[in-house]
Amino acid sequence: MNSPVSFDGAEALIRSRKDLRPQGDWFLAPPEEEGGCGVTGFACTIPVRGKHIYEPSIQMRNRGNGKGGGIAACGLAPEDFGVSRSVLEEDYCLQVALLDSNARGEVEKEAIAPYFTIDQGGIIPTVKDFRDVPLLQVRPPDVARYFVRVKQDVLQKFAEEKKLTGLAPREIEDEFVFQNSSKLNNKFYASLGEKRAFVLSHARNLIILKVVGFAEAVVQYYCLEDSRAHVWIAHQRYPTRGRVWHPGGCHPFIGMNEALVHNGDFANYHSVCEYLAQRNLFPQFLTDTEASIMLFDLMNRAYKYPVEYIIESLAPTTELDFDRLPEEKQRVYKEIQAAQIHASPDGPWFFIIARNLMEKGFQLLGITDTAMLRPQVFALQEGEVSIGLICSEKQAIDATLASLAREDSRFSPIADMYWNARGGSSTDGGAFLLNVVPSGNGHNGTSPDYTLNVTNKFGQQVKTRPGQTHCDFSRPVTIPSSKDADAAVISRAMEQNNPQALYEHVRENTHTMDYNRLRWFASEIATRCAKDAPAFGIQALSLAIDRRYPTGDKKRSSVVATLRGGLETIFRSQPAIGGEGASTCRRITFDTRAMLRGPQEGETTLLVDATGFQPEGSECDAYLAVDAYKLGWRHIIHYNSRGTRFHAAGFGPATDGLRIDCYDNPGDYLGSGIDGLEAYVHGNAQDQLCQISKRGKVVVYGDVGQTFLYGAKGGDIYVMGNAAGRPMINAVGKPKVVINGTALDFLAESFMAGDPLTGGGFAIVNGLRVEDNGDIVALDLPYPGSNLLSLASGGAIYVRDPNRTLISEQLNGGMFGRFTNEDWKLILPYLQENERLFDIGIERDLLTVKGIARKPAAVYRKVMPKSKTADAETEEVGE
Amino acid sequence: MTAATKTIPQQAEEFLSHPDFAEVQRVVRNAPPRYRNEMGKYSIHRASTCVSCGKCVEICQYGVHTKPEGYRQVIRPFDYKCIGPECEKSGRFCIANCPQHALSLDENPVFKTLGDCRWTPDLLASNWIMAETGRQPPKHLESQTGNSGGGFDRLRFVFPDKIPSGLRREDISTELLLNKRKNDSRPKIKIDVPWYGGGMSFGSTNIRAQLAKVRAAKAWNTFSCTGEGGYPERFIPYKDYMITQVATGLFGVREETIQRARIVEFKYAQGAKPGLGGHLLGDKNTPAVAAMREAVVGTSLFSPFPFHSVYSIEDHKKHLDWIAHVNRTALLSAKVSTPNDVEMVAVGSYCAGAHIVHMDGSYGGTGAAPNIAKKNIAMPIEYAISNVHQFLVAEGVRDEVTLIVSGGIRNPWDIAKAIAMGADGVVMGTAELVALGCIRCGCCESGRGCARGICTTDDELLQLLTVDWCTQRLINLHTAFRECLVDILYRLGIESVAALRGRTDVLMHLDYQNDKDRKQ
Repeated sequence: MNSPVSFDGAEALIRSRKDLRPQGDWFLAPPEEEGGCGVTGFACTIPVRGKHIYEPSIQMRNRGNGKGGGIAACGLAPEDFGVSRSVLEEDYCLQVALLDSNARGEVEKEAIAPYFTIDQGGIIPTVKDFRDVPLLQVRPPDVARYFVRVKQDVLQKFAEEKKLTGLAPREIEDEFVFQNSSKLNNKFYASLGEKRAFVLSHARNLIILKVVGFAEAVVQYYCLEDSRAHVWIAHQRYPTRGRVWHPGGCHPFIGMNEALVHNGDFANYHSVCEYLAQRNLFPQFLTDTEASIMLFDLMNRAYKYPVEYIIESLAPTTELDFDRLPEEKQRVYKEIQAAQIHASPDGPWFFIIARNLMEKGFQLLGITDTAMLRPQVFALQEGEVSIGLICSEKQAIDATLASLAREDSRFSPIADMYWNARGGSSTDGGAFLLNVVPSGNGHNGTSPDYTLNVTNKFGQQVKTRPGQTHCDFSRPVTIPSSKDADAAVISRAMEQNNPQALYEHVRENTHTMDYNRLRWFASEIATRCAKDAPAFGIQALSLAIDRRYPTGDKKRSSVVATLRGGLETIFRSQPAIGGEGASTCRRITFDTRAMLRGPQEGETTLLVDATGFQPEGSECDAYLAVDAYKLGWRHIIHYNSRGTRFHAAGFGPATDGLRIDCYDNPGDYLGSGIDGLEAYVHGNAQDQLCQISKRGKVVVYGDVGQTFLYGAKGGDIYVMGNAAGRPMINAVGKPKVVINGTALDFLAESFMAGDPLTGGGFAIVNGLRVEDNGDIVALDLPYPGSNLLSLASGGAIYVRDPNRTLISEQLNGGMFGRFTNEDWKLILPYLQENERLFDIGIERDLLTVKGIARKPAAVYRKVMPKSKTADAETEEVGE
Repeated sequence: MTAATKTIPQQAEEFLSHPDFAEVQRVVRNAPPRYRNEMGKYSIHRASTCVSCGKCVEICQYGVHTKPEGYRQVIRPFDYKCIGPECEKSGRFCIANCPQHALSLDENPVFKTLGDCRWTPDLLASNWIMAETGRQPPKHLESQTGNSGGGFDRLRFVFPDKIPSGLRREDISTELLLNKRKNDSRPKIKIDVPWYGGGMSFGSTNIRAQLAKVRAAKAWNTFSCTGEGGYPERFIPYKDYMITQVATGLFGVREETIQRARIVEFKYAQGAKPGLGGHLLGDKNTPAVAAMREAVVGTSLFSPFPFHSVYSIEDHKKHLDWIAHVNRTALLSAKVSTPNDVEMVAVGSYCAGAHIVHMDGSYGGTGAAPNIAKKNIAMPIEYAISNVHQFLVAEGVRDEVTLIVSGGIRNPWDIAKAIAMGADGVVMGTAELVALGCIRCGCCESGRGCARGICTTDDELLQLLTVDWCTQRLINLHTAFRECLVDILYRLGIESVAALRGRTDVLMHLDYQNDKDRKQ
């Protein structure tokens, strides 16, 4: 295990830093306060332009307050930065922010010229006047960038003085650069009251820039729109202090060859700092983000932990998750926890780290705290070019992809996969590494080809379905030979007004269609329905988007993009709210929002194009929808949403008869407080769905985020996929929920929903995965977390668990009750509706286990609050 | 039949069918204690040698001795009204003047056992008398400070020797503007006194006491608050004076309860128990309470901490945005406790869009809050006020925030001190309960609840209060509080409560006074 050499190395490195200790009681300084923030990042097999980090940043502007933004780029395109590939790869790119423009000379004289050979250096370009960048409140600092190597004699002396000669030359040089930056900051930033300059970054092939403003302003101000890099990360900061004059405290922060952005804050900042201080590391910017990257660098460079162990030391695996680890891992993890737990960040946090792994390529790493208290979404798109993304909110991912797809047809506007993970989990992968790996070629100064390799923290690979390709939407559509047959299907379904029949045709035939035929077919449906039967077209295409079925050699993401394009054509063809023309639908946009009026005769549906609307407040499309309802509209469709919050909320009591449909990326709090209305989410939903919902129905054709149904009183909710952490927490009354996937943790904690058999609430957890091709697969564990129905006093959870994997350790104050006929009668109607909505068959999928039809009581288990009178589950399974 | 002549109905249905019952006037009427023998500082003993000559009835100015019409004998003294030996100077001292020497005066030994250092027996009795009479408390009681040895109890006003001329009591304004945000389209709500009532839930507190709280708030054009147990329909006639609280358990919070309020309060934390949510123990969770909260009868209801949907400032903003979306005109108030970095919490709440930042310090809390939490966690409110006030001033946003403080505000003197230290106004919780007869026994939470019927959900104990009586006690209390507050301002020569804010120059702290003396 610990070879003596590596141990000495760690010791030597730590000892060599003893001069970095500042004078006085440095650590008593309180951290700078900031709230959570918006973070985003992506890693791509080709270098992409800085402008693409724009869109996701804009999408998450409401997670920052314009008082701090930053970006990092890793795996740069040498020609865009004016250096040769070898300089880029071998030299350190030392970037110094000059808060005082006059400090440059002194900085160079004291901290650069004596030690470094400068291969290239100068002030990086900016726009002329910062006021031309509307998002900037404060002039960003000038940034001096130097591509440098440490002078040979300097390095030799350093190694001898610091007793580091046992390390590899590059390790010594890294350490010199690291310590030099620390000293530079001490001299020009931290210790003197005057703040004149600080090091933004000093890594190889990785840069960091930050401003007082929104993150997208960085790209604009420093003219990075057209500069390309493989990996980008960005951060919107939310400092709560009113006046901020320089971006020293903004993210990202630099480690050695990695940049970190962070959303959240630690409860144990002081404890982490003391741990670092004992190892001669001293935060200079007083933020927990800086402490985080110091921890990471310490474990990476000094202790040489493999990344899995670094992750374990940051987000320890606990409780049931720990018990589920293999014995050998438990042994290692236990040691790591013993050594590291007091430096493990406590509280809500979520890091995205961009790393230069040198010859191994580049890496983007996303990780949350053990309890996943911050939102986080991963996404993957694989094809001719591949890209992996990590964001706080899903709309930022889709915005990035849309931005990329607009200029490069190899990108698709929808990812192939989206998923969440919880830091300390042993079952969902915990954290994910997006590696951009060079594949041969390319040495000797030319760009290599790269592949994207995504793994979880255990090294298990995440892949999209093999043998499928994306659609090249830049190709024109030609009339396919199948034209007449397909057209006849459309005509027949339209005549019968039977959208289900048309959907079934798509379901049965998509796998044999080529992209051209599918695109023609979708556009044919759209053009024919647009005028005469928009409702029919919307229903048929929505069914085809919502459901899963075989797509043959085509990526589902491309199939969905195609169908969604047809839907867009129908939406666009509907008469505008102030315009002429008759239709059952009226379309309203941001520009025409003032013309909102009630429905006229024959009008049923208001289409709200969310483009341009704000995500919250009085200029939000969800706000407009409430006005529309008051004017008499009873069917409202929101589309092109980019994280709009509060959809289907705010309509007040007794809204029976109102239907809301949400496409694309509806945001948080959807369906909160509903009382009678029905809402349909055609895709994934985000956090805080259906908070305090009272009555009504919500259907989600995808996953839902954190704290779903918090404090709910009622409502019938159907989720095709998973719920993230803490669903149904503190719910009372009579909510009835079907979750076809699973939930991360704390499902129905403090559930108080009476007795389900006499009108109370319950949840059904089916523990299934609906695959992209429509296959329905049982998960290994229907519920992997702990704290199922913990501390509950009412309600019940029905878990489809034919293999009896749930154990009493997962309960906390609950019991397994006997699943009776009464229970089955209670849940059957909900499963029937579930079957109708998602095509998850009761006989075919739910009651069939490994090909054998079973009785409900052999498949479902009932978890209920502990009770002396209720029958406990018995061992024998009633067949 | 008018509302004034008919007693207030106690049942929900009756209430809703007679909206005129919701009318309530800002008029002081005497509201004697509910119990025949109220506890007072002194006790007077009448010996059997009394001949009922009536001399004492004739000379007592305080109504201690009475002989109701048709009675042959003088009845048992109302000794809680007695001002004690001081009376001797008036020449109308019953003890000295009794021809039979039948009367004797003692300190009441029971009285000394009441309350605690913070709420001394004198402060309790002062409050009771204010609630009974609507006037300032009598001088024989120490009505300004308690006995805690710190904080408000060591702070004093420095009054000028001469009352500044030209200021008339009737010109002094006690108004408080609750929405100070510039460029904000929401209404500029003003209340007539710089305080409003704290949140006490249906479940923790007798519904009649809750009704009285909001009725008195209406009479005084201020607010009361639902607490987190839901919004009983009986409150609807008073909706303009009722704050809907959204607390971490979200009990009883529905869109209509959010939409009907003019102010919505987010209860993030309570100064009495930061890090804990609300507690309602099983015994008090009766069928009525459980129905309102849609929970299971008889189970203890523990609200979580914090909001499960709020772990950071941007979550907090989103949370506020949500309520702002549901209710387009309500003001938003964020109730937080006072941790070490309370100033960051305050400025964060402001940044997220709150109109009112409500800081709850450590002295508040009823019996339901665990002692270990009440006495050890949050920062005392006096420290928090000056911290936050100065910080907000330095940040340049002080004039856009309404800073409301609570947690141990007992009387008008505390209110004035809090404002002079930098608050805009205060929230009163316990003081209102004391006016209804609370003796601070601290048994609010368990069993059937309060023996005096104030904090109870027990059907029988509920009957100990009537809405009428409680309303009048509270109207009287508000009246007396305002009178004291105006008096303080008058003596300071300050024309309004708004002008008192941040005037630490009119305060002194006895400890530092001593320091100064020592140095000299």
